[in-house]
Amino acid sequence: MNAICLLLVVLIPPLAGAVVALAPWRRRTHWMIFLEFAVVVNSVLVWLLLFNRPADTLTLIHFTGELSIAFRLDGLGTVFAGLVSFLWPFATLYAFEYMTKEKHERVFFFFYTLTYGVTLAIALSDNILTMYCFYEMLTLATVPLVMHTLSREAVLASRKYLYYSIGGAAFAFIGMIFIITYGDTTEFLLGGVLNMVKVGENRNVLQFIYFLTFLGFGVKAAVCPFNSWLPQAGVAPTPVTALLHAVAVVKSGAFAILRVTYYSFGTDFLRGSFAQSAVMAIVMFTIVYGCSMAVKETHLKRRLAFSTISNLSYILFGAVLMTPLGLVGALSHMVFHALMKICSFFCAGAIIHQTERIYVHQLDGLAKKMPKIFGIFTVSALALMGVPGLCGFISKFNLASAAIESGNLLSYFGIGCLLISALLTAIYMLSIVVRAYFPAEGFREETLEGITDPNWMMLVPLIVFVILIVGFGVFSAPLVTLFKDIAGGLF
Amino acid sequence: MAYLLIFLVCFPFAAAFVVYGIGRFHKAARDYAAAAAGLVEFAAMLIAVCPVYKMFVEGNMPQALRRAVIPGVCGMGLSFTLDGFRSIYGVIAAFMWLATLLFSREYFKHHRNRNRYYLFNLMTLGALLGVFFAADLFTAFVFFEIMSFTSYVWVAQEENKAALRAAETYLAVAVIGGLAMLLGLFFLYHELGTLDMAQLLSAASSCKNKASLYLAGALIFFGYAAKAGAFPLHIWLPKAHPVAPAPASALLSGILTKSGIFGIIAVSTNLFLWDERWGLFVLAIGVATMALGAVLAVFSVDIKRTLACSSMSQIGFILVGIGMQGILGEENALAVRGTLLHMVNHSLFKLILFLVAGTVYMNVHKLDLNAVRGFGRKKKLLHAVFLSGALGIGGIPLFSGYISKTLLHEGIVEGIAQAGGNVLWFLKVVEWLFLISGGMTIAYMTKLYVALFWEKNSDSRIQQSYDGQKTYWSPVSGAPVVFAAGLVALFGLLPQIFMNRIADFGGGFFGLADYAGSVSYFSLENLKGAAISMAIGAVIYAGIRRFLMKETKAGKEYVMALPKWLDLEQLLYRPLLLRILPFLGALACRILDSLVDFVIVLLRKSVYRDRKIPHELPEGNTLTHVLGKIFDGARRGKRALLRQEIPENEATYEHRFAVQWEKFMETNTIIGRSLSFGLLLFYVGLVFTLLYLLICS
Repeated sequence: MNAICLLLVVLIPPLAGAVVALAPWRRRTHWMIFLEFAVVVNSVLVWLLLFNRPADTLTLIHFTGELSIAFRLDGLGTVFAGLVSFLWPFATLYAFEYMTKEKHERVFFFFYTLTYGVTLAIALSDNILTMYCFYEMLTLATVPLVMHTLSREAVLASRKYLYYSIGGAAFAFIGMIFIITYGDTTEFLLGGVLNMVKVGENRNVLQFIYFLTFLGFGVKAAVCPFNSWLPQAGVAPTPVTALLHAVAVVKSGAFAILRVTYYSFGTDFLRGSFAQSAVMAIVMFTIVYGCSMAVKETHLKRRLAFSTISNLSYILFGAVLMTPLGLVGALSHMVFHALMKICSFFCAGAIIHQTERIYVHQLDGLAKKMPKIFGIFTVSALALMGVPGLCGFISKFNLASAAIESGNLLSYFGIGCLLISALLTAIYMLSIVVRAYFPAEGFREETLEGITDPNWMMLVPLIVFVILIVGFGVFSAPLVTLFKDIAGGLF
Repeated sequence: MAYLLIFLVCFPFAAAFVVYGIGRFHKAARDYAAAAAGLVEFAAMLIAVCPVYKMFVEGNMPQALRRAVIPGVCGMGLSFTLDGFRSIYGVIAAFMWLATLLFSREYFKHHRNRNRYYLFNLMTLGALLGVFFAADLFTAFVFFEIMSFTSYVWVAQEENKAALRAAETYLAVAVIGGLAMLLGLFFLYHELGTLDMAQLLSAASSCKNKASLYLAGALIFFGYAAKAGAFPLHIWLPKAHPVAPAPASALLSGILTKSGIFGIIAVSTNLFLWDERWGLFVLAIGVATMALGAVLAVFSVDIKRTLACSSMSQIGFILVGIGMQGILGEENALAVRGTLLHMVNHSLFKLILFLVAGTVYMNVHKLDLNAVRGFGRKKKLLHAVFLSGALGIGGIPLFSGYISKTLLHEGIVEGIAQAGGNVLWFLKVVEWLFLISGGMTIAYMTKLYVALFWEKNSDSRIQQSYDGQKTYWSPVSGAPVVFAAGLVALFGLLPQIFMNRIADFGGGFFGLADYAGSVSYFSLENLKGAAISMAIGAVIYAGIRRFLMKETKAGKEYVMALPKWLDLEQLLYRPLLLRILPFLGALACRILDSLVDFVIVLLRKSVYRDRKIPHELPEGNTLTHVLGKIFDGARRGKRALLRQEIPENEATYEHRFAVQWEKFMETNTIIGRSLSFGLLLFYVGLVFTLLYLLICS
């Protein structure tokens, strides 16, 4: 396909969003249909692009020398773009139903769709400058979404989100400058672009800069100690927390780290260095930390947010193994975690939408009234734990075997962390499930009068996700082969 | 054949959902559908076994047969196989499921959530067969995990407080065990590069790094032992089996624990074949489990709890056999045959005993020994069936348990003959513990038997109603139990025909090449072992009557003499896992959680302080403030020193100075702006000019 399509998929969502926000619509359903249509068309276009990849780069603006804003579709971008564009239409559908109770809907959907375009742009970025620009833009586009309810907590949370993200981007900026200075090119090439002649004696400095860059992009991927914005941002409406804070935003952070690790600095340069040990230690700590905080948390959405923190570090753990298999593990967990987490978040959202109950201890016996939602939630909980036969097991298995294969001493501890975290995941997810199915003594069913499963707009996305969770859990070979090709530079 | 194996594993899963769907519309049809599914599975199992048995009859030791492989599924692909031992356990599993499904129809007549029970029951069957047919450890792990989660629902089925708590423990142990096993599998795979049971032995023997092999083996052992109920991971077993519905308890005790044993055998014979150190390790755990379980059973006053503790104890017997296999090395035929036969026997015993307990519960809805006392009087069939199970598990000659226990005992005796040094002493202790545990088995079974079938209930009206009850189970529920009871007696009467053949058929799995020897089961030497156990049992039973029964108004009653707090779970595991570890973790997390926020606050308070807003100091300036503070402090100090009282409405110096300052500034302004001040300054200037002129000129 023509490379111009790359620009098209980035532009359609903001334009459609602007039309929704500005045009004088008579009825809600009209713009809903329009928006869903636009999002679906865009996603279809993205998937067409994935299967007929344009070979050349689309340069939009050429600044000077190596610096330009350009789009290109490569293996890693394919995975991220495919993931995002698959999830977005479902999330939009879900959001229509969820947002009926909120105000300023059209403005909300403008920013919501704008974010779609920006995230795609990150996936399609050809060089580090482009990625950096859109990465910053992602922050700005999502702040209004976090702030949407305009309550005090929302404003505070969005302020925190802004500070953390901008601060992180500053670190990332340093990394970008060094890549521009010491690299052959700013483009992303598997294996890295650093020019060893230019680097010369400065290896240690550059490894330190990698560490800074990791932390910088790590802010969005919520590595400890830069994680506290994520649970706070849970005050945003559920479609936002689910899609942005479980999929788009945090995965952009992880994606950016994959990019700089494998495609800019290069794993050969970093492997075995102190920077690798440092980031690995941080990541392993975050894995355990996120889970244990989730166990402690009683607010349903915040608990899931802490779970996200831990699971993101699974992805990063794969990334910082700095081996091709590590990349495979990271990519598979990126995709599978997105499915599992969006599924569990949407279930949480459906519970909040139907019952306005937000704490775990309020969920006693709800499974009898909302069998479908809780059935789906149970599957996603088991998948997050890594029960064999569901997709979480595959990615955790890939990560652990990559860790063993890497032969790095620290990575053995990493496996231990993965298992402890699996245990903690079992505790914090199953305690919800068990409570819902087997309420504690003294539970009265009359208090749940009138509670039902939500309508089809909420259920359809969930059912699709759950089918995929089980499907990939049983048969994931094609996907894993694709990841292996990407990691080997074949795709 | 290959497809048949996959069918056997997948069919129960499919049937589970079909049965569930039917149950949504028609309850009776659902019960029939479930039983039909069990029947189909049993028939298919028999068909699958036929070719294996044919090979055996033709004189070939059934090795692992053709494999059924499903590549790519669940990451590493699944592979199944069938050999003698797997055939035996497949048939037993299918038979037990059929028996319990038939029994369930009547047992659950007045229960809620039956649909759910059938759904998870059938799924567990599929998962269990997946474990038994697994040709590699990975497949076994996958199905083992599925089985843990589906059987969890059985334990929680009744949804009362005890059941939920037991289910919680069960789940926790299962999850932790599963994770340990997974970790072990990772290490093993890293070390050997394969998890295929057929290749493990050669890979393990050529492996240099024994230490990590032991570590991996121990971790996998941990996972399987948790399900088998081995000490110290037995905590869930005495809690979960009694609260589950009786058919489920029969399955949990009779066959789910055996899946754990299966895994332990798979590790022992494939990784550590004839390894003495490993054997001692398993033996130690086995002895502890055997003795502890028997003690707990002796003290228990609840039928199902006694049976559950008994299961634990019998698992200990089996583990002792597995341990002896390692110690005996290549000449371990006796231990192998004893282990295998005791597994088979125990499955049968527990099927019978738990279903009898279920029959009691189904009729009187009580399990306490004092309450159900005398239920079995004048019920001849039930009496006979229970007696068969009890004599079997007690190891009384002419019943099948005697054969397997004799073989296990012979194995230990042979070990004593071979061993020297410390191991010899250890084995002597083991032999005595073995005999004493056998005695305790007889004692607690006698306790149950006497209470149920001989003693009269303390309330004569209840006894009358028990005596009047003629139909206590329907023929359909009873038939499989009677059949199993018949098997126990038949196997015990004709061990050379049945037991030996089973042992020959299944022995290949244990690395047993061929066994030509034969044991004369009813020799004087062997009968002596049984006699010692029986004597010990009689003494212990006398002790029970003397010390564990209390005289009350209504007559003698059984009492629970063990204090409630004596519980490993309450004493150690729960406080450790729920209090101490979370506290430490939370402390670390709290500190790290507030780290960045702390830095931000620190910066704001130090470097990035906000500019003072003008009205922050309402009066005065810095000088008057500082001076005023000093004076105020001095005055306070003076008063404190001299113990003077503080008068009311006294102005602070800070305020006074500020007012003075204001006055001063005001006066200054007034002066500065007045005409006379201007003139004064003008004249001062003139005076200075004059002085200058005068001095300089």
